[in-house]
Parts: sequence; structure tokens; C-alpha cells
Amino acid sequence: MSDSTLQDSYDIAIIGAGPAGMSAAITASTAGASVVVIDDKARPGGQIYRNVGNSPLHNSDLLGADYLQGRSLIDSFNNCPAEKLSAANVWHLGENGEVLFSQNQQTRSLSAREVIVTVGAMERPFPINGWHLPGVMSAGSAQVMLKSDGLVCDDAVFVGTGPLLYLIVAQYLRLGVRVRALVDTTPVSNYIQSIRYLPGALAHARMLAKGLGLLNEIRRSGTAVYRFAREVKIVGEGRASGVCFQAKGQTHQLDSNHIFLHQGVIPNLNMTRSLGLKHRWCSQQLCWKPTINNWGQSSIDSIAVAGDGGGIVGAEGAELSGKLAALNQLHRLGRIDKRQRDSQAAPSQHRLQHLNRFRQYIDRLYSPQDQQRLPQQDDTVVCRCEEQNLGQLRAGFDQGARGPNELKSLTRCGMGPCQGRQCGHTVSELLAQWRDEPVEAVGYYRLRSPMRLLNLTELSQFSRVQPKPDLEFNSSSTADSDSDIKSIKGAAQ
Amino acid sequence: MNPDVLIIGGGIQGCASAYHLTKAGVRVTVLEKDWVSRHASGVNAGGVRMLGRHLAEVELSKASMALWAQLDDELDDDTGYRARSLINIASDEADMATLRAREKKMHSVGHFHEKIIDQQELRQRLPHVAPHCIGGVISEADGYAIPYKSTLAFRRAAERHGARFIEGETVRAIRQVGNSWLVKAQRSDYEAGQLLNCAGAWADKIAVMMGDNVPMSYSAPMLMITTRMPHFATPVVGAVSRPLSFKQFENGTVLIGGGAKGFADRDANRTRLDYSKLAAGSKNAIEFFPIMKTAAINRMWAGLEAYMPDNLPVIGPCTQANNGYHAFGFSAHGFQMGPIVGKVMAELIIKGGSAFSLDAFRVDRFERKVL
Repeated sequence: MSDSTLQDSYDIAIIGAGPAGMSAAITASTAGASVVVIDDKARPGGQIYRNVGNSPLHNSDLLGADYLQGRSLIDSFNNCPAEKLSAANVWHLGENGEVLFSQNQQTRSLSAREVIVTVGAMERPFPINGWHLPGVMSAGSAQVMLKSDGLVCDDAVFVGTGPLLYLIVAQYLRLGVRVRALVDTTPVSNYIQSIRYLPGALAHARMLAKGLGLLNEIRRSGTAVYRFAREVKIVGEGRASGVCFQAKGQTHQLDSNHIFLHQGVIPNLNMTRSLGLKHRWCSQQLCWKPTINNWGQSSIDSIAVAGDGGGIVGAEGAELSGKLAALNQLHRLGRIDKRQRDSQAAPSQHRLQHLNRFRQYIDRLYSPQDQQRLPQQDDTVVCRCEEQNLGQLRAGFDQGARGPNELKSLTRCGMGPCQGRQCGHTVSELLAQWRDEPVEAVGYYRLRSPMRLLNLTELSQFSRVQPKPDLEFNSSSTADSDSDIKSIKGAAQ
Repeated sequence: MNPDVLIIGGGIQGCASAYHLTKAGVRVTVLEKDWVSRHASGVNAGGVRMLGRHLAEVELSKASMALWAQLDDELDDDTGYRARSLINIASDEADMATLRAREKKMHSVGHFHEKIIDQQELRQRLPHVAPHCIGGVISEADGYAIPYKSTLAFRRAAERHGARFIEGETVRAIRQVGNSWLVKAQRSDYEAGQLLNCAGAWADKIAVMMGDNVPMSYSAPMLMITTRMPHFATPVVGAVSRPLSFKQFENGTVLIGGGAKGFADRDANRTRLDYSKLAAGSKNAIEFFPIMKTAAINRMWAGLEAYMPDNLPVIGPCTQANNGYHAFGFSAHGFQMGPIVGKVMAELIIKGGSAFSLDAFRVDRFERKVL
């Protein structure tokens, strides 16, 4: 990390150092703009390239070629002239370009003419019966534990749909971890309906082959695979003891103390919503997205959104969209003219269009089932922080709470520490169903900073004086020490 | 059929007025430009206090407290009201002197609900208070309620008595012809014999349409709330000479206020927060209660609230027209007054008068001042 002095203002502030943020920083800073990148992790890479340069695993090649591809991007990023702040949590971003963040137990502020928000994706909530029980985790969290701390657990059941799910199962198997079963909830209808997008996807034969390769790898390993699963429920008193589902006309129950759920990813909305950007409901990806143009520019013209935070595009798409957002802002700052912007952008735009056609196919194929997005039973928990279930929300609606904010005020659904991340989409879709109106008409929670829990002492250390950099950080492990979870640091042969 | 009374504004004052009017058999329609309890009434700190009131407000505040004590039964609903006592902490001798002077004044006019406590009693009641705090003043009957639920409880009770609430309806123009108020709103026109302005941070605009100029301003008082903490404070807490105010709810969350103001954009229905002021508030909270050092702030917000130059509300009839009334400008302490104000407005409209002295709250009280 750089040792130069942190300024109090920049041409461009980039929030996040995943593929989109890194690529935007490289493009903007090498063109001469003053750029600061603020990332909450100890090392750049985002979720996808987490710890690439510093894996706890002896043989991180087992995590796959894509994971390692990140190395060259990270190297270019580390060598570019942008100011990089790591382990720094942005908890407020204002539409005026004011950035407040916590670093080393202190609140600091800076401001920027232009901002690129690259906050990435989060896993789509999986609100089925029992999803809140201890022992149930998202498959992505399982992967985070693997990538950052080399922690895995034997005999877990993986449930859901989507490429990331298959990838994590394959990564587990390659590391020699026993997997109890893969319960694939992709319905037959998705295979049929996605066929019409297949021609567009065929241009990406390599990516298709990679996906099929993962599934074959899982089958060849002898792992039990249940396809076309429906009516999935977690069973257990006080903690998960198994998962129950129907597949091919039969009811199955698999016993396991660890259930990993996954049904794709959605944009992480908390920053773009707190900013007050306009959003729209995307029926292809079944999620809210900030409304952005081809350059990632949002409804506030000095703020761009790039990468999965603006709509799921994947790692390569994120890298391209980061570059495009940076080029447009360089133009806005007067550093390049329109012709330069357009000519430098053309190859990336072309490639992004291509990727989008592949994305259409993937989105359709792995579109999550209604019954896994909209809770079906009154006792299914919707808001985990405030423990509000479907029945309680329905009662609130019947009392007159027509919108997400009224429902929040009445039931506390969405008031907890996750700031609605876990229930926001579910609540929008439920209200749309109950009102028999489009999700767009229902809207989303009115969010505010702080975008994460903020320690009172951190806030009280707030100062507007020019901050001094202190860039020595240690990464710390946050994984819990569940007895079944074992460390495999160095275990892979 | 036209209502007898049209109320503009679906906050706690409007909803409580609608309740008391409909309960007496009056036909009421409430026009709300957003939705009921959207602004200050739904997002305030929920303080239900008599402590430290301006002398002009004490009688109303005491009467309102009596209503709060049985409000859940009266409205057949859950307002979340809890009498937990309120203590304003003195951190030095100057604060104690301020309290003694206040006590003398209050006793002289016959009010005895505020009691000075010494350091020992302060520590008994608030074991986690910092050692430098030397005493304080307590009002035993004070406490808190849940603002959104309280306002909604009035609304629902009013609806059971026949009140109509029309949400998403912004008033554009008002005129009075003969005995009728003609109100032109965004979607429809309305007509009623009596008109009541409870429009909160927008009430000065409505007042002008009704013929009363009023030097009201508006601002965005800010609040923040922590995640659940172990129980450490039963009373609601304030400070004599510092901007500090907090309360711990039954679920363990701690609401921190103190009156610091953010930035209000009334036309856009929005507020922005002033984080440096919130930081100062955090410092105070930690200084008075070191246990708060590790508290995690979950949410921060501000509401749009109306202020009068003397921080006293406007309660009473129009000066320029008959059959027009105002109840607004509560200057960030109107929530507790809601129940009694609703009752007073109903009395003014139905009987033409109130037993309370409302002189200090006249809408034209600033007109007479020569600058």
C-alpha cells in the first residue's frame, strides 16, 4: 500500500476494490486523474478475487483458473498511481461527493468531484422455512471462509441453483472435503425457457463448457445429486438437523448439521439506495438495480455505478464496466475529449454487449423459483434481524401498511443491523403480490447512512481536519469456531 | 356528503383532533400529502415528558399526561407508552443552581412534578452514569411511546368513528366563500364548514392560504439508534446544559437524540444529516455513560419539523377568518401534547372555547412586536 499523504479531495473517489473498482482506478489514475480507492477489505480483489495473492491454502490453484486470473488485475492495480485505502469502511456517501469512512477506529472524511460506486453483489436471500436456523449458511459465506481462512466442513448439503453453487461444491470436492449432497432446485421449465437464449450464449462456448464441466466433475465424484428439487424446507429444533424436499415425485429428507443455500446473487443496494439514486425493478434478474446509462452514470450525474452493484454482470463484465465509468468521468473532468472516450471505450462496449447475451441465458436458466423467493408459510421468517415472519407482515399489510416503509414502521421489519439487505427484496415482492401491482409501484425501503454498524466511539472521533494516512493493517479472521468446521490450511495435496 | 371539518395534515395533532371530533359525532375528513405519520409524528424520539416544559405549556402537558396514562385503553390499541421517568442530569454546580432556580419558579405557580435529586439518588436510578455527574431533576410520570404506532392508533380509532383519511393528497389552494372553506387539492376539490391546519413543517404555507402570516421555520432534528444492548438504563435521560438525550427501549436498543439539527429540504420531502453534529452527540453520550463506548449505531435519521421563534406552538383559531383553526409549530416537543391538543381543538371547534389558557399560542402573537 502507498505511503503518500492522503488528500482531503480528489477528482474521483472509487468505493470498492473488486474487479470494477480496480479497473476503474487503473484507467482513471493512469490518465492522470487524482484517484482514491476505498475498500473495506485488507487486500484488493473484492469477493471474487478474495485473498488471491495471499491464499491460506497451500495449493490455491484448486480454486480454479478464474480465481487466479485476478492476480494480474490486482498486480496492475497495486502498481497504478491511485491512492489506495484498505480496511476502510465507507459508512456515508453523499450526493455531493462527501465520503465518510472508518479506518483504525476513526471516522475520516474526504470529498470528490466524481464518484464510482462498485459495491458488488450479495447472495440472494433464500427465505424458506428454517433458513434462519443455526447450521444454515449461504454457500457464498462457506466460500468466504474457505478463501480467507481455509475453513471447511464435512458432510454439508448444498441446496439451490446457479453457477456459484456448483463452483463451491467443486472447490470443496477438489480439496477432498466430503459433500453429503447437492440438491439442485433449477426447475425443468428453466431449461426449456432458456433454450431461446442459447444461440446468444453459444458464442461463449468456453464459458458454457466450464459450467457443464463443473456439473460433470460433481457427478463423477460420486456425490449424491438431486435434480429438480421443490418444496425445500430446513428441519430441526433450535438448529438445523436436515433438509426436506421433493424431487421427481418423491419426498426426501437428508440429515446434516450444515446446510449451505444459494440461488444466485443480486446487487448490494444499501449504498445506492442511501444515496437516493433512482432504481428500477429488473424482471430478467428479479432484483432492484440503480438506473444507469451505458457509462454507468446514475440519476445523479457525478455518481456512477459499475460492476455487479449496478446489475449482475460477472467478474469480466465488472472489469469492463469499471473501465467505461472511468472513461466517462475522465471526459466529464475534461481530461479526455468525447472522441478519445468513445474510441477507447469501443472494444469494452463491444465485449460487454457480447457478455450480456450470455448473461440473458444464464439469468433465465438459473432464475430462482417463486416459492424460494416468496415465503409460503406464515411461520417462515422474512426479517432475520427483527424476527418478523410472513404471518406478521401480512397482518401489518392488513392493518394498512401498503408500502415497505409503512410496513417497516409498523412491524420493525427491516430495522435491524442488516439494513434490510436480507428482507428488502422479499418485502417488495410480497407487497406487490398482495397489492396485485408491479414491484416497481411498491418500491423499496428508504435507507440512510450509516451503511454498516458504526461504533459510537468511531463516530465521536469524527473530524474534518485533513486526515493522516496509517496504512498498516492486519487481516483478521471472523469465522466462528463451530466444532464441525475444520481448518484445511495446507491440507490440500 | 361534505364533512363538517376538514383537517389538513395526518400527523399526531391531525389524527388526535380527528379522533376527538368524530367521537363527538362530527364528520371529519383528513387530507395528508404523503401518508399518515410520514414525517415528524412518525420519526420523532417518542419522548412523553412534562419535565422542563415552558410554563405556558405545563397545564396542557400535565393534562396530556393524564390522557397518555390510559390511552391504550381509550384507543383500544398499542401506543407502546411506558412511564419510566425522565431524569435531566446535572454535571456541575452551575447546573444544580439552574435546577434550583427552576424549582423555585415552578413551586411558586403550584407545579410540583419536577423533583431535584442528589448524586446518590442519581446513581441509584442510573447506575451507569459517569462519576462527574452530581445530581439532576426527575419527573416520575414521564416516559416514552412509539411515535408511529401512537399516531396510527389515533387514526384507526378515528376511522372507527367514521373519519375519512385521504393520503397522497396535497392541498394547492384554499378560499373561504360564505360559510364554506373551498379546498383545491392535487386530485380533488373539498368543501367543509370548518378547517383545521395541522400541517406540521408545511403549516405556514397552509396558514397563509387561510389568511394568517406566521414566522414559522422548519428544520431536521436528527436521531440515531443503536443495536440491542444489555439493559443499563430504565429512565429516559437528558442533561441540564448539554445537548444529550437518550432512552433505552425494552428490546435493548438505545435511541440517542439531543436536538442537533440536520439540513431540511422541505420541497423535496428530504433531509440530510450533519454528521459532525451527530459525532458531538456521540461524544456527549459516551462522556455521560461510558458503557456507550462500544455501542453500535444501526440507523440515523432526521424528520421535518416546524419551529416557532419562541419554541411554543400555535394552538387556536385563525385571526383573519371564522371557522378556521391552527395546531402546529410544536418545535420538536409536540408529540407528548398530541392527545390533549386533539381534545382542545375538538372543544374549540364544537364549543367555541377551551378551559385552557391559549393566549401564549396565538397565531398572531408576533404581529404585535415592533422591530
